[in-house]
Order: sequence, then structure tokens, then C-alpha cells
Amino acid sequence: MRDVVITGVGAVTCHGVGSAALWQAMCQAPVRLPDRLPDPYAPGRRPYMYLAPTESLPAAPGAASRLAVAAATEALDNAGLPVGTRPPAPLNVVVGTCMGETGREEQTRAAGGTPGPEPTFSVAAHLGDRLRATGANTSVSNACSASGYALGIAADMIRVGEADLVLAGGADAYSRVAVGCFDRMRAADPVRCRPFDRHRRGTVFGEGAAMLVLESAEHAAARDAVPLARLGQSGWSCDAYHPTAPEPSAEQIVRAMRQALGQDTADGAGVTGGRLGCVIPHGTGTQLNDVVESQALRQVLGAATLDVPLYSLKALVGHTGGAAAALAAVAATLILRHGTVPPNVPLDSQDPECKVFLPHTSSPLATRRLLVNAYAFGGNNTSFLIESGAAA
Amino acid sequence: MPDPVVVTGIGTAIAGVRGVGDLLGPDPVRGDDDPTDRITGRGHRYKDRATRLGLVAGEAALRDAGLPTNRATPPHLDTGVVVSSNLGNVDTVCDTVRTIADETYLATSPMLLPNTASNVIASWLAITFGLRGVNLTFCNGPTSGLDAVHWARTMIRSGRVERMLVVGVEPVTEPVRRLTAPDRGDTPADGPSGPDTLFDGAVGLVLEGAEVAAARQARVLATIDRYARAGSHDEATRAVCPPDAPVGLWFPPERPSGFRLHQAELPSAVRAAAELDLTTVLGRSSGALGVLQCAAGAAWLADGGPGSVLATAGVGAPTTAEARFDDATSALVLTAGASR
Repeated sequence: MRDVVITGVGAVTCHGVGSAALWQAMCQAPVRLPDRLPDPYAPGRRPYMYLAPTESLPAAPGAASRLAVAAATEALDNAGLPVGTRPPAPLNVVVGTCMGETGREEQTRAAGGTPGPEPTFSVAAHLGDRLRATGANTSVSNACSASGYALGIAADMIRVGEADLVLAGGADAYSRVAVGCFDRMRAADPVRCRPFDRHRRGTVFGEGAAMLVLESAEHAAARDAVPLARLGQSGWSCDAYHPTAPEPSAEQIVRAMRQALGQDTADGAGVTGGRLGCVIPHGTGTQLNDVVESQALRQVLGAATLDVPLYSLKALVGHTGGAAAALAAVAATLILRHGTVPPNVPLDSQDPECKVFLPHTSSPLATRRLLVNAYAFGGNNTSFLIESGAAA
Repeated sequence: MPDPVVVTGIGTAIAGVRGVGDLLGPDPVRGDDDPTDRITGRGHRYKDRATRLGLVAGEAALRDAGLPTNRATPPHLDTGVVVSSNLGNVDTVCDTVRTIADETYLATSPMLLPNTASNVIASWLAITFGLRGVNLTFCNGPTSGLDAVHWARTMIRSGRVERMLVVGVEPVTEPVRRLTAPDRGDTPADGPSGPDTLFDGAVGLVLEGAEVAAARQARVLATIDRYARAGSHDEATRAVCPPDAPVGLWFPPERPSGFRLHQAELPSAVRAAAELDLTTVLGRSSGALGVLQCAAGAAWLADGGPGSVLATAGVGAPTTAEARFDDATSALVLTAGASR
């Protein structure tokens, strides 16, 4: 089975364009309030979201595609494969998105126009077209864990020899449907995105995109590329319980984590809590998710749960939907490269039902291996490892 | 050599289609029945049409494979779901957009809002039948159905699951009609299925490892063989059709108006094959096409059809024309099942 390495990362969040801007924000951990949506048709009692700066983004047919192209351009530059140069192997594209270009359709209709067909795959298709990517082009629609599945699919393509070079990630932008739906379901926080806080009332969406260049270790070595990290095993499972709510016993999200950690083998061996440097949880700020995930972590990590630092990324950038898992993967890669777990955005008061370790000061990364969790409507769970490989 | 992945169950939810053999045409399918009427039980009122069609086809496929469909039985921990649909829930999304614009978000129904998630069909299949393995939704354009079948096999071969339920579904709703019309410069016709109508229905396949199927003495309908995805139809078909493996039946892709694809230009192994265009039989079936092709191909092989079956979806970027149609072509070969 071939090793999969990460040789480039790119990100766009409300803190700016580029992974450097993301890392700077991670280190500063500011309490940033969400932006009021500059849309007269913005729905809900809480028309707020963490908006990405748009002025410096490349032109593209829709906002999600603009975010995706910006993140992809950085990732490819970072990997030494700048856009416009011919890559040494066909470039494959796997993109996860929750809402696609729904926002563009809404704007067209609001302006009196008739929107054309904008299926979800238009983001992946546009990205492939812009990058002249001649490999496979795949769009994954697994709601808010979509880009986690995109990374897993991309890694599987490399492992089985279908591809040597894959650009994988996710992108999501503002849409009235997503913001309105969460508000209507009373799952939108009135203050900010504050996962694991005692007073949390739901999530707050954020615009964002994250892209990673994945290669077989052999392919990266052959072109003298220095891997930033290794994409380890991933676990996938489905609650098969409810269209929106997590299954309260957490049986299936525990299963996904154990698969990623290799604890699902007959001898029960694998990575234990003591051998994890950090966990980036799904942690959205919805009431049930954070409690269930905390309990699941306790089942998987045991007594080490209170020693392994959690880095709660959504408190910094909001819930970026289909981009969230890839953004967590970029954050994990940055933590690995810098050898530091940044401070969490401060909470007012941690929920006593969420018995997890959320440090508010930075600390050295004790073990060069991170676990990322991503969950979605429909009980679509994925967990995966970002770690330093032999070559990293 | 990895364990082959075989087809052990097929189910359809298509008006006028009583069994998968009806897909082997060549006449257009006619029927006034609504397959979603076959859904029994409570709790379906708030599901969108694509989800209801998918549930009917999924249940039929599981039954055909001899597997339980009642979630009261022990959950299928090692059975996953992959759904292919390009237009699946656009009706819910469009209706929600309109409602918010006309009456604010307060007029939206919380019961319908989960349906705005693009993975809602796969989610309900898992919930309804207790399928707790991998759960994937592909919205991958014209190649989506064959890509989904390929990914189902990859999930089995990688050991993530023992078995996958693959569902291809496209609904015809008012938003779908409206959104697809500008694409073709016409309005899809009503009446019997054909190349100018839209496909409204679903098809399900059960795929499992050959050893798993043999252990439970399942009937094997066909084996999933070679698959390739490439930038052009020519490249994809050549990758899966070596000269020494004659194709008995070819399912061509949905072809945009003005696009020609000549059998004489295909690899030599395909030139003598019978051709069956499911678009002519069922209408334009988009993300469902590849799964429909595999279902019909498996039925043909199980009935003793000679040679192998080639399914192609997406016309790719033709080398002989300036205009570009699709980004890619997927090609997949099915061969006869081991138990034939």
C-alpha cells in the first residue's frame, strides 16, 4: 500500500487569503464576532456569518469557485507545481462541497434573472477547468463532512495506484438556504461560534476553502518535493439514525475514530490517546454534537482525554460546511509543521458536560500525530490522521 | 488478484417497468403508475421525490439480493450506500429559496429543511435499512453513475465494507424541468420516454465481494470488471476494451444534441457489439444513467448474453470538434457472474 503525503496546502477563511493568514489567526486566537450579511434578502433572526474577504480572490463564476481557485492556487504553488506549469503526472481533482453555487443562483434570481443549471459538481468542474487538470474530477456531496470524504477518496486513489497526484479539498460560500435553515431549526448561535461553551446555542457558518496537494510518497520523492505531512488512515461510518441529529450513544463516530487509529483490529492495538499530539474535533457549537463528540472521545482516548489537547478550529473561523474537514486538515498540517498547538479562542465557560481539554495557551506538540473528526447531516462520520511520516 | 466484486441484486423504481428486463428495450418505456406509491409505512410525507424513488429502488434491490430490509433486524454494520444524482434535491433547494424570498425564512418548514442537504437520499437509505457502513453521495455530472459503481467496488476491495447498495436516481419535478430547459434550449417533453424527455426514476444495485456472496449462497448476476475515466470517450473505451475481449452489448452515453459518436470509431472489440441507448428507452437520465446501464447489463448477462457488457457515460471532450461537451468519459465493463 503506497504512502500518501501532503506536499502543499492552501486556505481561505474569514481571516484572509492564504494559510499564513490562517496560522497567524490561530496563534492570536482572537474573539472575532461574525459579520452581518450584506444581503437585503438575508434570512433569519440572525443574518450573520464569518465572511471571507472577496476583493483579492480570482474571478470565477460563483463565490464557492472563487474560494476554491484561490486555495488551490496557493496549494499548488506551495507544492512547487504552480498553475500554468505542466505537472509531472495528470492532476486529479476531488472536491467536497455542501451547497455548491446555490448562493449564485439565489443572487441571480433576486436580481430578476433566471438561474441556469448549477449542479453541485460545478465547483469541482470549474476548478478542474481553471487548472487544466486532466485527471479524474470528482465532486463529493457528503454535506458538512464532504471534504473529509474527499481527502479519503483522494488517498484511496493514490493507495490503489489510480493516481499519483491529487488536489483534494472543499469550498463553501454564503447561501441563504443554509443560513436560513439553521436559524429555522434553532441551531444558530446568537453571539458567535463557540463550540463546547456552556452557553452555546448552535453554530455560525463561515465562508472558506481549503485545498491540499496529495501525492504518493514515491511521486513526491521523484520530483524532490519535501512532504509537509503524511495523510494517515481514515475511518468512515454512518449513524443510520436521523437526518440531522447525531446518534446519542456515539457508537458510529467511535467506530470511525477507532478505524482511523487502527484500534478496530482483532487485537485492539493501534494508536492510543497517549500517542496523539492533538485532536481537531468536528465541534460545531450545536448542543448535542459537542456533548456526543466529547463522550465519544472519552470512549476512544480513555484516561488520556484530559491530556490530549483539542484545537477547536470552528471557534476561530466558523463552520465552513463542506470545506470544514479540509480546513481542519490544513490546520493540522500547520500545527505539525510549526510543532505548536495554538491557543484556543477563549470560551466564556466550558460546558461541564464536555469533559475535554481545550488549552487557552499554546503548547509544544508532544506527539507528531493529529486526529481530525468531521461529521454531517445524515450521520456521515469520518476521522483521519495527519502525521509526520518517515520523509516528513 | 483481489476478490472480484459481483452484482447480487437489482431493483427499479421506474413507471411502466416491472422488472429490469424491461430496460433491454428497444421500445420506449410507457407507464402511468407512480413508483413512489409502492412505499409503505409512515413518515414519508416530508421526503422529497428523489428520496422516495431511491427508497423504492433500494428496497427492491436488497430484496432481490436476499437481504433483510427491515431495520429491526441487526444493523448492516458492513453494508454501505453510494448514491449518484445530479439533480436529486434541487426541488427542495429551489422551493426553499423561493419561500425565503417570498415569505421570509419563517415560512419554511423545519421538517423539510434536512432535505436541503445534498446527501439526503443516501442518508434516508441508511436510516431506513440500517446500513451503517460507508455512506457516499456523488454529484459528478454525466459520468456520476458509473463513477458511483466504481467507488462502491473500491470500498469493498479496500475492506471498508463487505457490501454496497448503489442507487442512481433522478426526479422530474417543476424545478428540475425549469433548470434543465436552458441547458438544451428546449423544454423536456411529456409522454413516452425518449431522448427528448427526462428520466424520472431510480435503480438500485447490490454489490458484494464474491467470497461474501458465495458464503451466503447468493445468486450472482454479473461481475464488475475494468473501469476507466478519461478526458475523451475514445481514451476511456480503449483503456477498458482490449482487442481480445469482445464486447457483446454496448450502452452508449447520453449524447448532447449535435454530438455524434460512431461505433465504427470505437476499439475493435466493440465494433460488432449490439448497441442499446438507454436514453432512447428511458429519457435523459443524467446521474442515474451509469447505474441503469449496469443494472440492464447485469440482467442481460444473467440471461445468457454473450461476451461482456461495456457501459460508457459522458461524451468527453471530442477530438474532432471544436466545441466541448462534457469534461470526461467513464467506461465500465461487466462480465458474466461466476455462478452462471
